[in-house]
Amino acid sequence: MAAVFKDYVKNKFARPGPLKGVRVLEVCTLLFGPSGPSFLAEMGAEVIKIELPPMGDVTRSLNPFGWFYKEQSPMFMHINPNKYYMALDLHIDLGQQIFKELAAKADIIEFNLRPGVTRRWNIGYEQVKEVNPGIIYIEKNGFGQWGLYAEQDRPSNDGAAQALSGYAWISSFPGRPPLKQAIWICDYYGGLMGEVAVLAALHHRRKTGKGQFIEMSQSENIMRAMSWVWPYQQLAQKGVEPAGNRDQCICPADTFLCKDGLLAAVAAPAPDEFLGLCKAMGKAELAKDPRFADHAVRLQDANALAILKIIADWARTVTADEVENLGKQYGFAATRLHNAVDMNEDPQRRQRGFVKEIDDPLYGRYVEHDFPVMMSKTPPKIKWTVRPVGFDNDFIMTKILGRNQTQLDELYLHGVLGRWKDQQGRRPPPDWDGQSGAIVRR
Amino acid sequence: MAEHKRPKWADWADHIRSLDDPAKNFEKPEALDDLVVLDLSSRSMAGPYCTSLLAELGAETIRVEPPGGDLVRTYSPNGFMHKGTGMAYLQEGRNKYHVTLDLEKEEGREILRNLVGQVDILVETYPTGTLDAWGLGYEDLVKLNPRLIFASITGYGQFGPDSGRKQYDYDNVAQARSGVQYATGEVLPEGKTRDEMPYATSTKAGPWIAWSTAGTFAALGILAALYYREATGEGQALDISTPEAYERLNDYMLHWYADKGVINERFGNLDTCLWLYGFFPTKDGGVFLGGLRLEMWKAFVDIIGKYDEWEADSWTTLAPFMKKDWQLKYQAMINPETVKYTSDELTHKSIDYAKSGRLAPITPVVAEIVAPWKTMQDEVWHDRGVFTPVQDPVYGSILCAQAQWKSTETPPRTKWVCRPVGYDNGFVYLKYLGFGPVKLKELADRGIV
Repeated sequence: MAAVFKDYVKNKFARPGPLKGVRVLEVCTLLFGPSGPSFLAEMGAEVIKIELPPMGDVTRSLNPFGWFYKEQSPMFMHINPNKYYMALDLHIDLGQQIFKELAAKADIIEFNLRPGVTRRWNIGYEQVKEVNPGIIYIEKNGFGQWGLYAEQDRPSNDGAAQALSGYAWISSFPGRPPLKQAIWICDYYGGLMGEVAVLAALHHRRKTGKGQFIEMSQSENIMRAMSWVWPYQQLAQKGVEPAGNRDQCICPADTFLCKDGLLAAVAAPAPDEFLGLCKAMGKAELAKDPRFADHAVRLQDANALAILKIIADWARTVTADEVENLGKQYGFAATRLHNAVDMNEDPQRRQRGFVKEIDDPLYGRYVEHDFPVMMSKTPPKIKWTVRPVGFDNDFIMTKILGRNQTQLDELYLHGVLGRWKDQQGRRPPPDWDGQSGAIVRR
Repeated sequence: MAEHKRPKWADWADHIRSLDDPAKNFEKPEALDDLVVLDLSSRSMAGPYCTSLLAELGAETIRVEPPGGDLVRTYSPNGFMHKGTGMAYLQEGRNKYHVTLDLEKEEGREILRNLVGQVDILVETYPTGTLDAWGLGYEDLVKLNPRLIFASITGYGQFGPDSGRKQYDYDNVAQARSGVQYATGEVLPEGKTRDEMPYATSTKAGPWIAWSTAGTFAALGILAALYYREATGEGQALDISTPEAYERLNDYMLHWYADKGVINERFGNLDTCLWLYGFFPTKDGGVFLGGLRLEMWKAFVDIIGKYDEWEADSWTTLAPFMKKDWQLKYQAMINPETVKYTSDELTHKSIDYAKSGRLAPITPVVAEIVAPWKTMQDEVWHDRGVFTPVQDPVYGSILCAQAQWKSTETPPRTKWVCRPVGYDNGFVYLKYLGFGPVKLKELADRGIV
């Protein structure tokens, strides 16, 4: 297939993304909400992020151990690229009216609020449907729009979903307390899945003209990704317990400590892979051992623990890189454990353009992960990063709604449109020249 | 538990439920019922997961396996099988038609080419170059069907310096390569060795989250490519590398090192970026506590009765709490307080606080960390239709997680959970290629199907 991807990175900007012409309105904060529309923006949709002035998205304050990038939250930057930034006060009538004018010209609307809030703001699904019957409207939150947990007004976030789904329970070592992931997996993965729902609805609309309302709960979403856990519990009548780095369904598949103190992950369930691994360990005879004869037998706990012990003992005699290279040579899956240094320096990530430099008019050059689906005809790509609260108000209001300067000034005067508070993360970066990145300059 | 008093907005809940209750899914149309998908996944669950998403939305999905069946059918804890199928594939065979075909034989490949002319989407997970060597690569197939959307999900991608590696894609290896596993896990206390505490190490997630993420990105890319195809008539090739897909759900680690040279290290059950945000012990287990706004953190301190003693009233910003030393200091102060309660007591303290606490309606997030066994017993999820069993003609009543979202018009749904190897050979080959029983027997005798 290499031919169709020849010069892919070089020509990335020669073609539009696949969602060119799709318009999205987003009223989302934190991660579960905003991450989804970003994926659409990376695929070429026009995404208007609407924040409440003057503070905007809470994520603008978040940071790892006090590190900000040019006063901005690095999390916020990663979550919200390629968007247009509008600050509109949805608590007041005029703000709601403007929202509906935009909604009439949008394809997709996304919220992550508690149930019932959109209706209270007069911009709920039924109200928007009156001005745009084809609208695809998604609300994402912890527990959905109905059901006991939703009605209890329980707040939720990523960690709660990891806890309530059982995800954390089965992600630690045996006998140890449940473990939280270092990433906000239920937020991010939920955001991603929400867009599958949205794009499927878009296909249905193309065929029928009909829009729809979609609701997603982050706990329910992650449960679906827990796969074999549920039928196993039903049929074996046994709860699933954690197994550390060992894959409970595949054998051998585990992470091993190597001679150099580094870790290597290995997987070799298929006959050719298992034989390759045995040969690489200098123990080809193991492939004929009745305990390890085929995958089903090998998976039985006693046999699995026996083979994993043999591999663990061997791993202590080789380096992690040697394990990875033997995997290449003998045809089983193997890798040294990667960290932030590999993310930055690995030639594979760089040459695929998965890790790349963004050249942003406000934030300068910085390194970012690009969209992880390479599309031969319509390459998705990140172009710019985040903006101050309300930064693109004038552009959106002029381009889409045809408001003139006098009308805009009026809206600012009445607090319908707003701009950033003079505070870290809300205002432009400290070295901003007052012009760069502004699409409409007065 | 006190009797549930319905909220003011209960009519909203009832209204939405009347529109999107999964109990009514089968009364509604399907978003993708005009599409045909070929699933050539091999050894990887990322492919079957991707095609499950499409099949749940109504795409007619044909799963092509080698005559003995794909290895994924054996994936199961302790080798546990139900009617010859492992627990993993009992989830991801859903709604698919299962045929066998030997692609290592030219006659098998010719049959596949005839199918390709009639499908919209193809998903495959072979090591890069495998299908090309069989004359079934994108360049070969696009000549037969220029509208084809061809998605490859692999460990090393379709191009780049590592793309020549001939290794299959496994979830645990992808998790290790993503950078996420490195930063997750218990912290090894100073003075302790890894031999003393082998569990205080980089730890992968239990579920196949790298595979699921790659499969979901693939589905998203496919649907976007479909949007483009409907406008232009052009199909295309999609390249998804599983470790990259999962790494994309990482956040600041890449940038932090690039800007400050900091390698993000494990921080146990706290969070490098967030406060209040972590797992804390209780009398009977543990809870997640979350309060990403100052008021929510103060509300939590109020709930455990430390509002005055810790002088919460004087706090004006969350910023200092996010620093590492403050997180560790407050963790040590919180732990002895949370262990005084059961997880359920703390959860309900938070719910009650939202009604009558001094900062109400603000309240922290409190969620019990439960075993999946308990998740599966929770009536709320059953009421929401998450665990509605599928009545399968072959496998019986199977409990599986139902689709990820609910919708008013084209909700995803599960029709059957799986099918035995080659179960649909008769139906599919007759429908698409006109092969009757005589022809199929000939092919079976030669080992083609």
